[in-house]
Amino acid sequence: MTQDVATDRQEFSFDELMADDPFEKSLVTNDIQCHGGYIDGEYVSPRGALRRPAIRNWRERLSVADHPLITIPEKYVPPNYPNYDQAKYLLQEGVVEPVTRALTIIAIVEGFGARIREVSVPDFDAEVEESVDGTALAHLASGLFEAHARDEAGHRDQGGHKQMWEAARDAGLDKPEIPDDVLLRLMSGGPPATRKRLYPELSERMESMLLMMTNVLIIETFAEDTFNWAKKLLGDPEVSADPVQAAHIVDCIARDEVPHVDYLTVALSELRARTLIGADGQSTLSGADVIDGVFRRQLRGMATVRPQQSRERSQADIHQAVSDKRRASSVARQFEELDSGWTFPHRDDEELDVLLKSA
Amino acid sequence: MNAEANSSVLTFVPASLAERAYRSAQISWTGLRVWLHYQTLIWWDKLRRRDPDARDLHAVHQKNADLIFHTAVSLRGMLVKMCQVIGTRSDIFPREYVSVLSQCQDRLPAREFESIRQVVEEDLGKPIESVFAEFETAPVAAASLAQVHRAQLVTGEEVAVKVQYPDIEHIMHTDMTASRRIAALYARFSDNPIDFLPLLDELQTHLRMELDFRREVKSADRIRDFFSRDQDVRVPMVFEEFSTRRIITMEFVTGAKPNDLDELHAAGIDTQGFMLRLMRIFNRMILAHGFFHADPHPGNIFVTADERGKPVFTLLDFGLSKQLPRGFGMGLFELMFSMMTFNESAMLRAFRELGFDTRKGDDDSLLYIARRMISRSDTGSFQGEFTEDMTDEMFDAVRESPIVTVPTDFVLVARAFSLLSGIGHAIGQRGNALDAMS
Repeated sequence: MTQDVATDRQEFSFDELMADDPFEKSLVTNDIQCHGGYIDGEYVSPRGALRRPAIRNWRERLSVADHPLITIPEKYVPPNYPNYDQAKYLLQEGVVEPVTRALTIIAIVEGFGARIREVSVPDFDAEVEESVDGTALAHLASGLFEAHARDEAGHRDQGGHKQMWEAARDAGLDKPEIPDDVLLRLMSGGPPATRKRLYPELSERMESMLLMMTNVLIIETFAEDTFNWAKKLLGDPEVSADPVQAAHIVDCIARDEVPHVDYLTVALSELRARTLIGADGQSTLSGADVIDGVFRRQLRGMATVRPQQSRERSQADIHQAVSDKRRASSVARQFEELDSGWTFPHRDDEELDVLLKSA
Repeated sequence: MNAEANSSVLTFVPASLAERAYRSAQISWTGLRVWLHYQTLIWWDKLRRRDPDARDLHAVHQKNADLIFHTAVSLRGMLVKMCQVIGTRSDIFPREYVSVLSQCQDRLPAREFESIRQVVEEDLGKPIESVFAEFETAPVAAASLAQVHRAQLVTGEEVAVKVQYPDIEHIMHTDMTASRRIAALYARFSDNPIDFLPLLDELQTHLRMELDFRREVKSADRIRDFFSRDQDVRVPMVFEEFSTRRIITMEFVTGAKPNDLDELHAAGIDTQGFMLRLMRIFNRMILAHGFFHADPHPGNIFVTADERGKPVFTLLDFGLSKQLPRGFGMGLFELMFSMMTFNESAMLRAFRELGFDTRKGDDDSLLYIARRMISRSDTGSFQGEFTEDMTDEMFDAVRESPIVTVPTDFVLVARAFSLLSGIGHAIGQRGNALDAMS
């Protein structure tokens, strides 16, 4: 187990937040140098030497002040589709394409996580009544977003999660042929919708940043089931070409995601405990009202409509892929019988709310 | 002659001897002057014991580009088309040529109507009046191969009729022959010549395809299919029964120019997210479908408003549509992505995947080119937009590193993205391909 640097500091430089632990060996997979490395034979995430203790200290500060932490109820986390049994059955029947497509899309979407570095951070001194010194908020633009971006997409000659998901896919499925329609699926949504302002009193920069952070936090939380699914499936010797390596890479990615969930949770909770100043420089809004409102809105869409649409699209793709096989109807029927189902929360479900837990 | 009967293979018909001699002489004289402008400087530098390679040639490139432009505009026809193609090849020609010769577009004097009527009646096999209730004699646009007339079918539909010039095949034959002769002479008398003959072969193949308008109709159909469920893209309907190898009859469309903010606002178009929408359309063609409209200059895109004021893009002129090789979209995406994340090893893999190559197989030349391109971005990093400055810089670097081979597909895609970026900049937005994906 890696020992965190003992420090009670609350302020960290950009370089400190980028600093790696003293790895004894780096992670190389699929001939690609990836981030992170090994200490005493155990994988340790990148850029953690001071980022880990920093996040811990900021969270403790919230706890001391008796401010709660935002948490997303587990019951809203949609299960991966197809589930493990269904995906394993498809692989056993030689229907590799849907799993390959899903893993490739995960890799690309993870890579796009790098766009978090482009979030324009508002001037907290002007837009937050209380000081943000010594908080995660104060470090978003000076290291936390950049570290997150590098973790997801890689940086310079180090692969990140994008490359690691590709490596896990190639290890587990023995370098499968990538379906031609992957990019088409990614772009299959309609034209971008014009976003209505939720809190027009706030600066646009503040609202955009909150939406982005909330969005990413929900995605990262929802990804937990996907990690478990991928680890189990790619680690299954009955269907995986290299179960040990493939499952290990997914496990490394899952570990790397922990600080992302942590810093986003802490930063949003810090803002929740403060008072926001409107764009006019005069009006004020309760941080708790704004954060809870943004969360409620994002969670409603992301826990209900989107996973349901995604599930329906995947189901159609899978049936299409199965239809080309011998015994198509029998395979399709067996596939459906393995479905464990999922009741999507209703969009207007009042329980679909932000729950808080003690920091 | 009806459309069916007119589906014969394109054949060259010899032009009159005097006509051929005049065009050949003009083209040869221009070629000689261009060569002498360079050669005189080389001789002079050698006489003065200076290194000719160290000379700044921007001024002479500009002078020669202007000279070729004027010859093309005066001779018209195929030479203009050749200039347009040169204008797309930033990887081979200096930017002065690309900048001047790409202006050879849709600004040519119209042909007399009688020659147009002749083509229409020959190809449709009936008098023009029996198909069209009205046919405006003045064209709405005249370009190098064809001109477009507004008309109304006897059934009432408003249409645009694109009609190929009757003598264009003769002109192509004459101009290609003259150009080949000049290229051969240039190769014989230059110390370190660029091999123009493969380029002329490519050009001839391209022009043969473009002269068959049925191919353009097929391209339009294909792209219309891509967007059959999209409300924000339109491809004008073609009236197949009145379209032949030399004629395209399509619904008449109009709209605001995408690069004119005042015009867009006057048309009631909401410009928020305008470029994201436009880039999404080209992303889908280039990255996802692997077949795209390769000439998205502002004249080929009309914009109208839907019932909510959102932009609807009508794409026009599918003559320069391009099929990309399998895997190209993913390779290009990986290249953009690796440039965004400064991941040089991934960048090299993507370059190779796209077909870039170096004679010595070294990686440094490719990375040098990418670094130079990125250095010209507005932000100093690549965020998903190929601006004109960046593509110019990239192709400058390619020309300075003749050991690097750049795939033609990439050149056309980079040009299309930089044209879209230019539209974006004209209205204060960005043509960012990665933004439009995420």
